[in-house]
Amino acid sequence: MGKTDGITERQLTVLIFVSLLSPMIRVLPTAAVMLGGRASWLSPLPALAAGAALTGLYTLLLKNAPAGMGLQEAAEQGLGPVGGRVFGVLTALWLGLYGGFLARSAAERLLSTVYPNGNPPIFVIVLLAAAALTAAGLTKSLARTAEVLMPLLLAIVAVVLLSAAPEVSSANLLPVTYRDWRDILYGAVPIFNVAAAFGYFLFLRGRVVRDGEQRPNRFPWLILLLAVAFGVTFFTLGTLGTNLSITMENAFFMVIRNIRVFGVIERAEAVVVAVWIVTDFIFLSSVLMIAAEIWKTVAGVKRRTFFVLPCAALSGAAAFLIAPDAFALLKWSEFLIPAINLAFTVILIPLALAVGKIRKKY
Amino acid sequence: MKKSLKKAARLLAAVLALCLTLTGCSRGLSIFSNYRRLEMVELVRTITVDGAEDGVNVAIYGTAGEKQEARMYQRTGPSIGVAMNELSLLPLGREAVLSHTEELLIGEDVARERLDEVLDYVERFSETRLDIGLLVVRDSAAWELVSGLAGEETPASDVLAGLSRSIDRVGQGYIFSCREIVTSLAQNGVALIQCVRGVQEEKLFENRGDLNLAPAGFAVARPDAIVDFLTEEETLGTMLLLGKYRSKNVDIPVDGAVLTLSVDSVKPEIKPVFSRDGALERVEIRLTLGANVVCMAGLTDLRQAETRHRAEDGLSQRFGDALTAAVKRGQAMGIDFLDLYGILSRREPLRMEDAVGKNWDTLFPGLPVEIAVESTLSRTYDIIDPPEISGREEGDPWEKLTGSLKDN
Repeated sequence: MGKTDGITERQLTVLIFVSLLSPMIRVLPTAAVMLGGRASWLSPLPALAAGAALTGLYTLLLKNAPAGMGLQEAAEQGLGPVGGRVFGVLTALWLGLYGGFLARSAAERLLSTVYPNGNPPIFVIVLLAAAALTAAGLTKSLARTAEVLMPLLLAIVAVVLLSAAPEVSSANLLPVTYRDWRDILYGAVPIFNVAAAFGYFLFLRGRVVRDGEQRPNRFPWLILLLAVAFGVTFFTLGTLGTNLSITMENAFFMVIRNIRVFGVIERAEAVVVAVWIVTDFIFLSSVLMIAAEIWKTVAGVKRRTFFVLPCAALSGAAAFLIAPDAFALLKWSEFLIPAINLAFTVILIPLALAVGKIRKKY
Repeated sequence: MKKSLKKAARLLAAVLALCLTLTGCSRGLSIFSNYRRLEMVELVRTITVDGAEDGVNVAIYGTAGEKQEARMYQRTGPSIGVAMNELSLLPLGREAVLSHTEELLIGEDVARERLDEVLDYVERFSETRLDIGLLVVRDSAAWELVSGLAGEETPASDVLAGLSRSIDRVGQGYIFSCREIVTSLAQNGVALIQCVRGVQEEKLFENRGDLNLAPAGFAVARPDAIVDFLTEEETLGTMLLLGKYRSKNVDIPVDGAVLTLSVDSVKPEIKPVFSRDGALERVEIRLTLGANVVCMAGLTDLRQAETRHRAEDGLSQRFGDALTAAVKRGQAMGIDFLDLYGILSRREPLRMEDAVGKNWDTLFPGLPVEIAVESTLSRTYDIIDPPEISGREEGDPWEKLTGSLKDN
């Protein structure tokens, strides 16, 4: 599969971008406003700096790793076969659980906005089944899907945000002074947390087919992702204000419910829901694919297809067990899930790579 | 080649089969569980909520059918949620669609006792938008007013939409949306809501209702209920400061004549004045008005600067009084419904933070506020002055001109 399932650096980056749009739109602006208050619309700036530093760190750590070496292979070389495998199993298990959380969150969002009387299981099952089928397929198919959908998704986000512009009030955004620097930094934490999830995608590095001297340049995509984060935070905060934004689970959706596109079309939220579903599906598919890819390397087999179903089953079990209701889900999403996510992407994965680098394994 | 053709044909057949699930057919393959036949839909444009003996009375006003006939349905329940739920059982199996509701009118009793419940329902229910205009009906039940507005061929919503378009042009108010109200309540703990009342007038058109709609100033609301009402003058003053004013025609007596001026441009400037030790000493409000002459009753010479100044002073006095009334009322109530704190904080964020901190509620009632209004009369449109004043004078214009040059 390896030779026929190659993707380019650009495709991997676009896959990361489209996948991360999902948590970016889900988490923001509520999480950022909760921590950063009125000043949080400026938080994407420090998040960009931190994201760029992390991107630079990953690039530096993998600089001399040979083409075709995925992050799991690099970890196994760096930490040794046992240490590397333990690291891989831990990460794959976490991704399985994280996939469950993502599926459950996606279902909850649909329930609270569009299908008030629906049941989460049906949404979770359909989403996980579709994602598992995709994850069992070719990496390049998923990457190509993301590549094809990306301009459409960006166009929808841009039109929606611009349509919300007339409702924005400076009274909700100002004053912000240098004294608010702490709030701006606090607000950057959830934004950076989402952006940092690109680290997981480096497990797919083994699928990247290098074209000559092609080097990954993810910085412009990081800027684009954080521009979306800025847009979502700025327009929601500017429309609803700090206190109202943090009382809502989906404040951005509330803004969308009110917009009139070009003064002609109203109730355009269906289009935005489509953005959610597409990005949720791509992110969940990617997470399952990455988890299966890790299991494949750990087990030392050639095909990952076998591992997709157990990963999806783990995600399904997690989705049903961790959050029987919206209150439990909220508790998980407030601290534990973001904290574990940050621990993996900012500490554990770079640490595993750093050990290999120090030991001059690549 | 044949293989790929077969594959394409299979794919096409699968796609076409899936398309069947997108039809609106109620039974069979459709994936839609919430399909609605157009003729069975009641498109709700206006909702009213009034107090009832054991809860609330909710009425919905919609249009249906090819002729878009106006209809009204009413239910009573212990809460808005229950009453709305009962309204889903409309006669003849019709289904109420609230997605495009434009106005929500609540009775004074509901505004005083259940405002939070009304706003919570609109906010939480996925079908309603937050941009619905909210109005408080005074002196009668909201449903009575709306029913009185409607005629055989005129839905009440059309009358309300007309009010919504024109109310700020006559300087009598502004219809705040539920979003503006909940945002302001969450942010500042106070919001303004437009009030209306029904006025019994001669029925001018057969197809109109018996009542006419009249603005009745702003209500001042706290998060759970309205606390007071503003007069017409206080409402005008509030609109001037909040930037919700668009235009208004006012009569100003000048030298025995009456000028009707259209005040089209209003620029408020609000700034804090601090003492040497950094304490907030007073607030200065400067209002700059731009006006034009709409018509004149009697005679006065507007080419004379002094005459214009007298007209401008009269106008400044009139709007200054409105502004003063609004500020004084806010201070007397101890409620900053003008959001002066927000405006001052945006202008001088650091100094305001140092000087006021969290003591605004204590400072505000006794804070000296200086108000200055400056008006400019810009044009008189095509008529400069009546001919009795600026008409052609006797004598040769050339001789007059050369004579005046010689004199100089």
